[in-house]
Amino acid sequence: MIKNTPFNWIMLILSSLVLLFILAPLAGMFLKTGGAELLETVNDKDVQESIWLTLWVAFAATFIFAIGSVPLAWLLARKNFPLKKVVQGIIDLPVVLPHTAAGLAVLGFISRDGFLGKAAGSMGLTLINNPAGIALAMAFVSVPFLINSARDGFAAVPERLEKAALTLGANRSRVFFTVSLPIAWRSIMTGFVMMFARGMSEFGAVVIVAYHPMIAPVLIYERFSSFGLNYARPASVLFIVVALIVFILLRLIPGRKKETQLSPDAET
Amino acid sequence: MLKLENISKKLGTFSLSGISIDIAEGDYFVLLGRSGSGKTQLLELIAGLKDPDSGRILVYNEDITWKKIQDRNIGLVFQDYAIFPNMTVFGNIAYSLHCGRVEEKEIKERVDTIARELNISDILNRFTNNLSGGELQRVALARTLITYPKILLLDEPLASIDSSLKDDIKKIFRQLHRRGLTIVHVTHDYREAVSLATSVGVIHNGQIIQVGTPSEVFSKPVNKFVARYSGIRSFFRVKFSNEGGIWKAGCDSTISFVMKEDNYPSEGLMIIRSNEIKIHNTEPTDSYANCFKGIVSDVFPSEFGMEVTVDAGEKFYVDISSESYKLLNINELSEVWITFPAEAGIALQGGG
Repeated sequence: MIKNTPFNWIMLILSSLVLLFILAPLAGMFLKTGGAELLETVNDKDVQESIWLTLWVAFAATFIFAIGSVPLAWLLARKNFPLKKVVQGIIDLPVVLPHTAAGLAVLGFISRDGFLGKAAGSMGLTLINNPAGIALAMAFVSVPFLINSARDGFAAVPERLEKAALTLGANRSRVFFTVSLPIAWRSIMTGFVMMFARGMSEFGAVVIVAYHPMIAPVLIYERFSSFGLNYARPASVLFIVVALIVFILLRLIPGRKKETQLSPDAET
Repeated sequence: MLKLENISKKLGTFSLSGISIDIAEGDYFVLLGRSGSGKTQLLELIAGLKDPDSGRILVYNEDITWKKIQDRNIGLVFQDYAIFPNMTVFGNIAYSLHCGRVEEKEIKERVDTIARELNISDILNRFTNNLSGGELQRVALARTLITYPKILLLDEPLASIDSSLKDDIKKIFRQLHRRGLTIVHVTHDYREAVSLATSVGVIHNGQIIQVGTPSEVFSKPVNKFVARYSGIRSFFRVKFSNEGGIWKAGCDSTISFVMKEDNYPSEGLMIIRSNEIKIHNTEPTDSYANCFKGIVSDVFPSEFGMEVTVDAGEKFYVDISSESYKLLNINELSEVWITFPAEAGIALQGGG
């Protein structure tokens, strides 16, 4: 309970202003969107395909990059090596880059002349204007969220637990999979959700590597620039609703695991 | 059985240097030292969690200095237990057996057996979040003992346990020791050493400064540090007896102390705090529970004023103020009487 003091009131008012700033535009958008418009958008095949593409590509990018990001996070949390701070800086770089610049960087990498583009081309695959290219652009700007969250999770695992497992006969990989990973799991999942959410909402980097097929943010921009605010708004509302549902569902996964641990028979 | 030969290890600005200890099979070795003295580091070196810069570690004359942790068969119970929070109590205890690919049926049998012995059968299916310190300690012990270790290393095992539960855990340690398990127990509390150890080592600033039986170490400290650190001046191995409702503690010599009413084992160790003993230069006329005639065998300045050693068949170390010392007008070889109340004698159970 917050005490009724002038200081607390000032803090509450300032906090409320920030919350209002976030909620007011969203509420306005929702209130201005009629039910009929929304229903029409729900049935719009382009919108459906766009949202589905956004969701699965963002999920695939997150899942695939998690395979390498989790070990990298563990290395950063547990090992000291030369240029560790430089590596940490490189990981944070995509967060501070303008996203259009990030898109250009990815484009250079996956275009026909780029390293990855050439490799993909040799297998008859074009990454530009392709879901694979979209996934790479999404991952480029969002993977730091996963790495940093997972690194914090591993760093929070007490080293003595890993040492205890070693003295009990476990080898290093068993210690990782049975002790470090499960205990850091909540942080990893938080990073996973953050990376997925950030990738799903990416526009700047994606629009440079793939205008088509259109992910939802590109479709919303395309409708806004071609037909105006009223035409873009229902698609925005629908995407926000879908994104929120997926976000909440993903957030529930580690929460359910916690509940299992604290089941009644775990209580004293 | 466990031999450390000239072990040295640099750890940042701190270093363990020239550590040599020889622990016999079945010994209960307590390593005493203050925080930061290198006790835990030494245990981790023995367990294989750290590699020494120089020196050798031998178990049954086999050099295990560079042997893999998993192959050493040395159990380590960590200070705060290091129980895996993502597993149930059963999962924790069975962890090493799963590593060894033991059959599920055998795992269950072995876990049930060890859980019964340590009285934790009722919490096997619980997660560890809300277990008490005593329960966590038993789980940690069970998890280690199920591997049948050759040596059990205990890192400050009683530091995080309520004093009311300490006796129960000590009892378990004594039982394990009686069964022949070699135990190395590190602590900062000399009372644990007195009540459990068959041999004691004192570590200070990364160096072993004294090794011996508890009696040797506490009654004949090699230096001021050990004496001050142990907090004990007067230390006696006694046999307790109840004579007509009065508890007495008899030493090997003819001296017998009157003790306060309590329950005592048949024999054990007792201490008398230096500041509870009074010195008289004439025979006291008042009645005292304990009054002994002796000769001053040594006098030297201490942080309390003067420390006077009185030989009354057993040696008593008495702290008195400089003023009292002047008033008493005593010197070496002076005849004195020492008195102390029955409550001054503290019995420490066990003690090998």
